[in-house]
Amino acid sequence: MRAALLLPLTLLIAACDRAPTVNFQDASITPPDDPNELPDGPGRDVVLENCTACHSPSTMLQQPKVSREKWESIIGKMRKLYKAPVDDAAAAQVVDYMVAIQSDVSHEAPR
Amino acid sequence: MTEGRLTRRALIAGAGTTALAAPALAKLGGGMIDLALPGGPSLRPTTPDFPGKREMIVQRIRPPLLEAPMEAFREGVITPNDRHFVRWNWAMPTEVKAGEHRVAVGGAVKKAVSLTLDEIAAAGEHVSIVAVNQCAGNGRGLSTPRVTGTQWGNGAMACAKWTGVRLRDVLAKAGGISPRAKRVRFAGLDVPLTDGAPQFIKSLPTQMAQSNDVLVAWAMNDEPLSILHGFPLRIVVPGWFSTYWVKMLSTIEVLEHEDESHYMADTYRWPKVPVTPESKDFPTAPITAMPPRSFITSHADGDTVTKGTPLTLEGLAFGGDKGLAKVELVGDGWSVPCELGPDEHGPYAFRRWSVTLPNVSGNLTGIGAKSTNANGLSQPDALVWNPSGYARNVIERITLVAQ
Ligand code: HEC
Repeated sequence: MRAALLLPLTLLIAACDRAPTVNFQDASITPPDDPNELPDGPGRDVVLENCTACHSPSTMLQQPKVSREKWESIIGKMRKLYKAPVDDAAAAQVVDYMVAIQSDVSHEAPR
Repeated sequence: MTEGRLTRRALIAGAGTTALAAPALAKLGGGMIDLALPGGPSLRPTTPDFPGKREMIVQRIRPPLLEAPMEAFREGVITPNDRHFVRWNWAMPTEVKAGEHRVAVGGAVKKAVSLTLDEIAAAGEHVSIVAVNQCAGNGRGLSTPRVTGTQWGNGAMACAKWTGVRLRDVLAKAGGISPRAKRVRFAGLDVPLTDGAPQFIKSLPTQMAQSNDVLVAWAMNDEPLSILHGFPLRIVVPGWFSTYWVKMLSTIEVLEHEDESHYMADTYRWPKVPVTPESKDFPTAPITAMPPRSFITSHADGDTVTKGTPLTLEGLAFGGDKGLAKVELVGDGWSVPCELGPDEHGPYAFRRWSVTLPNVSGNLTGIGAKSTNANGLSQPDALVWNPSGYARNVIERITLVAQ
């Protein structure tokens, strides 16, 4: 009787010695939909098709105005480093599109 | 848990489906904010639509890049979780089962192990540290000349209380590390969509990894980490930029060699020598410890103040990898010491400061707070420009108009 009472007590003390346990619960999230919005212009569909699988279009639209060469090098990096499956013809159209919308200041206005 | 790699066809199909939906930006259900980025584009949508978040600045929805508006820093020294910035390089899983999650500890260890969350939590003493978490690119959008990358204002920073076990206690579960160990590398559940693209993995020098303050954390301000902040576990490296604070931790690998992986060897690096936009082929080093920073939070650029009255300015500062030594208010050729708020949470936390100017006699042009840490490192007067816009800590200046 005595022994039986003592046993749970020692267990309790042992448990207190250790760090308190943490209660891990499953977690999930439903992020908001991505409007995936791109201004109209020649090449828009090519950009949607080639450039929006890994990231929202804002990745492109929020960049400061840079040169055509810089856009060529960014798209080169997407292909070479991140393995974006973009062929030469599409890459050229994406460059044209980005250069064109960056010279059109109206894309800055809230839509 | 992971979505798996995508083929070209799947990539295009994915893009196609979303493209068809294409609702307007206004659908985000928030406002717009102007981040005052020189030359623009400067307007960003804001949204309260991310679960667990108040109104945040949307730099990107996929993978999420959320910035806190500067008003989040007006009071207190702990940033509420619903205002803590969010930054993912690759898409993160949107669901994680606690019971199934394992952390593999391997490489140059005595015996590789795969640990459950309970085993991690039982690996050692539970430690809480209050520390600033700041993106290496915080403030990049304010660089002049501008540089490409995520165009953050200054809101990619936050201060929270992190709770977990020491990383070295988790390494001990694998019987300890090799005497020849050079680095300890971390990977999470966020993986590239494409085969052959670099996974976001990062490593610390062994000595740093085994220090008192580096944690494997599960709680942020006494709440479990949310998915957006890296549930179930993230690395916490007080004093160092958040690029090392790997989220959704799933692998710890001890290396006996230098780390040649992309996010250590090719990016998140900055010049070892002064550079200009024309510089080429200069030596670089990984971005590591944070330098001190400070902000005026009581007033915004262009605010009006009353002539002939005293003026109290307040703000926030942190020392980086060392505690704060002092904060001064500086103008054109003058400086006044500020009073530091209490050191409530140790060297890695935000602290408040305030200063009262006895009499406003005219416009206060280009005033800013300048902090110095316990190493004697001060914020520079001019931007230390670098091509990736890392580690911005130039004095942030505003102008107040006297009326
Ligand atoms: C296979 C995935 C993938 C595809 C497809 C892709 N990108 Fe990217 N892109 C990335 C990743 C990863 C980053 C870095 C994200 C981060 O830092 O959060 C990035 C970043 C960028 C940036 C930010 C600047 C920089 O250099 O980091 C721009 C601009 C960009 N991408 C443009 C494009 C364009 C244009 C296309 C279409 C030709 C494209 N991307 C297609 C993966 C991709």
